[in-house]
Amino acid sequence: MSLPALRLRGLRKTFPKVVAVDGVDLDVAQGEVFGLLGPNGAGKTTTLEIIEGLTSSDAGEIEILGLTWANNGQEIRSRIGVQLQSTSLFNKITPRESLDLYGSYYPKRRSTEELLKLVQLEEKADAYHITLSGGQQQRLALAMALVNDPELVFLDEPTTGLDPQARRGLWDVVRSMKAEGRTVVLTTHYMDEAEALCDRLAIMDHGKVIATGTPASLIADLAIPSVVELTFDGPAPEPGAFATDLGLAVERRADLWEIPTPDPKALLPRLLEAAETRAVPFQQVHIRRATLEDVFLHRTGRSLRE
Amino acid sequence: MILWRQFAMEWRLYARDRVAMFWTMAFPVILLLGFGTIFRDSGGPKLAVVRVASLAPGPQDAALDQALGDLQLKVVALTRAEAEARWARGETAAQLEPDGEGYRLRLNSYLMAQAGATAGLVNQAWLVAQARLSGAPEPRRIPVQVESPGRKRSANYASFLLPGLLGLNLVSMGLFSVGMVNVSYREKGKFRRLAVTPLPKWIFLLGQVLHRLTVAVVQAAILLLVGYLVFGIANQGSFLNLALIMALGTGCFMAFGFALSGFAETSEGYAAISNLVFFPLMMLSGVYFTLDSAPVWLQHVVAGMPLAPFLKALRAVFNDGAGLAGHGLGLGIVAAWGLAAFLLAVKRFRWA
Repeated sequence: MSLPALRLRGLRKTFPKVVAVDGVDLDVAQGEVFGLLGPNGAGKTTTLEIIEGLTSSDAGEIEILGLTWANNGQEIRSRIGVQLQSTSLFNKITPRESLDLYGSYYPKRRSTEELLKLVQLEEKADAYHITLSGGQQQRLALAMALVNDPELVFLDEPTTGLDPQARRGLWDVVRSMKAEGRTVVLTTHYMDEAEALCDRLAIMDHGKVIATGTPASLIADLAIPSVVELTFDGPAPEPGAFATDLGLAVERRADLWEIPTPDPKALLPRLLEAAETRAVPFQQVHIRRATLEDVFLHRTGRSLRE
Repeated sequence: MILWRQFAMEWRLYARDRVAMFWTMAFPVILLLGFGTIFRDSGGPKLAVVRVASLAPGPQDAALDQALGDLQLKVVALTRAEAEARWARGETAAQLEPDGEGYRLRLNSYLMAQAGATAGLVNQAWLVAQARLSGAPEPRRIPVQVESPGRKRSANYASFLLPGLLGLNLVSMGLFSVGMVNVSYREKGKFRRLAVTPLPKWIFLLGQVLHRLTVAVVQAAILLLVGYLVFGIANQGSFLNLALIMALGTGCFMAFGFALSGFAETSEGYAAISNLVFFPLMMLSGVYFTLDSAPVWLQHVVAGMPLAPFLKALRAVFNDGAGLAGHGLGLGIVAAWGLAAFLLAVKRFRWA
C-alpha cells in the first residue's frame, strides 16, 4: 500500500469575520485527480493555500507525500507544483524566460522545450507575456507548475474566466498530468469540469466537506437519477397548484421548472396532464440525467452558480 | 549562480521597460540640460538698478548715469509710475530715486544679496560723478571681480543642480523602484508565486537590490558625464568621498522604500504615502534651489530630514572639494534615518 499523496485531518482556519475552513478531512491517493468542488467562498482556495504553505492554519494536521511543513518545508516545495488563482507575471517576460527562470529555482527540472510543447505554446515561446491570450496565460501557468517535474500538482480554478475552447485545451493538459502519473488536486466551481476531469471529488460549502466520492457515486447516491425540465419563454411562473396536483417538489429556476424523479417514464404522462389542466404555458420538455449540480442543490438547497 | 540569474533577469526586464528607463535614465539628464541651459550665466544674478527719471534732468543726473555705466551696472530707466509697478511686483532689488537735491536708494529686503552689492556700486558711482562735476580728481576704485571658489569654470546653475539630481535619483529609486515595485509584487501575487518554490526569498530581494544599485551607479555616471561634457562641471573632491556619500544615501533611501511598502495594501495607497514623503523632500531639501532665504525654523526642520544634509555634504565634496570631516553630523543624520527605516522595514515588510 502506497503512501497517500495528501492527508488532511481536522483542518481549521478562521478569519476575523468568517470561518473559512471548518474541520476538513481529506485523503488523496497517489495518481488520482482530486477535485474540490464548491461555490465561491466555500473555502476551497483557503484550503489549498494552507496545504501549499501560503497560509497558516489554526488547527489540523497536513501530510504532503508523507512530509510535514514543520519538518520538510524545502523538500515539499521541491516536489509539488502550484498554479495560483492569479499568477501575474512581469509584462515583458516571455514564456521561455519564465520557464527557464522558475526552473532554475529547483534542484530537478524539466526542459523548457518539452513544457512548451506540452502546453502548446511553442509558437508563443518568445512573445511577451502581455501579448498572450487568457487561455495561453493559463496554459503557461500550468507549465510553470510542472517545471520541477512534481509528484503532486495543485491547480486553483485553472479554467475560470476562459472560453469553452480554451477550457478544453486546459483539460487536455490536466489529463496529460494524470497520464504521466502525477497526483492532481484542483479546485473548481464548474460541475462539468469536475465531472470531466476528476477521479474523486470533495464537495465543499461554508468551509466544510459535505460529500466525498467519485462523480458517478455522488450522483447515484442522490437516488433520483433524472430530472424533468419544463422551459418557459421568459421567467418561469410560480408552480403553486401544479406542484400540488403532481404531488412532487417543483424547483423554479430562472426560466424553467425542475422536477427530480427516480422514474421519468412514469412521471411524464401525469405531468403533461397536470400541465394541460392548469394551462401551464411551457415551451419545451427535457429529461436529463442528474448532475453534480443537482447533488449540490440537494445537499445545500442552493445552486452552485449564484 | 541563482543570484546572478536573478540579477541578470532584473536587468533584462528593466531594459525592456521603456517607461522605467525614461524616468530613471533620461529624465534626470533632461532636467539637467533644460534647467542648466535656461539658468546658464557667467556668475550669479546680474546686478541692476532701477533708475527713476528726474522730473527736470540736469547735469548731475547725466554725470551719475555715465558713472553708473562706467561701473558696468545695468541701469533700468523708468518713469516713477513704471518703477513703482515693478517694485510692487517684487522684481526690483534696488531702486534709485531723485530726492530733493540728491537721491535716495530703496533696497528690497527679499533680494538683499543683489541689493547690497548694487548699493555699494551706486554709491561708488555717485562719488565719481560728484568728483567729475566739481573738477576734482576721480577717486581711485578697487577693481571688483565676481568668482566662485573651487570651480573649473565660472559658477553656473548646472553645477548646483547636478548634485541635487544625484540625490533626488536615489530618493526616487528607493521610493518608487523599490517601494512601489514591492507593493505591486505583493498585490499581484508575485511574492506568493515565489513562496511556493524552494527559492530562498532573500535571494530574490538581493537580486533586486543589486539591480537597483547598479542602475543607480549607471544613472550617476551618465549625469556626471553629461555635466562634464555640456557644462564643464567636474568633481572637485575625491571620488572616494563622493562614492561613500552616495553609498550612504543609497542605503538610506532604499531602506525608506522597503519600510514604506509595509504601510500600504495597494499600489494606489502606496502612491499616496510615497508622494507624501517624496514631494516635501524634493521641494524643501534644496534640490533645485538653496534654502538660504527660507525662514530659519524651516531650515532647521529640513536639516533634520535626510535629503538636505545628504545634499549639503555631497555639494561640499563635489563643488568645493571638501573632505568628510566637517559633515559628520549631517551624514550621521542621514545614517540615523537609514537605520530607523531599516528597522521599520524589518518590522513591517510583508510578502503577502
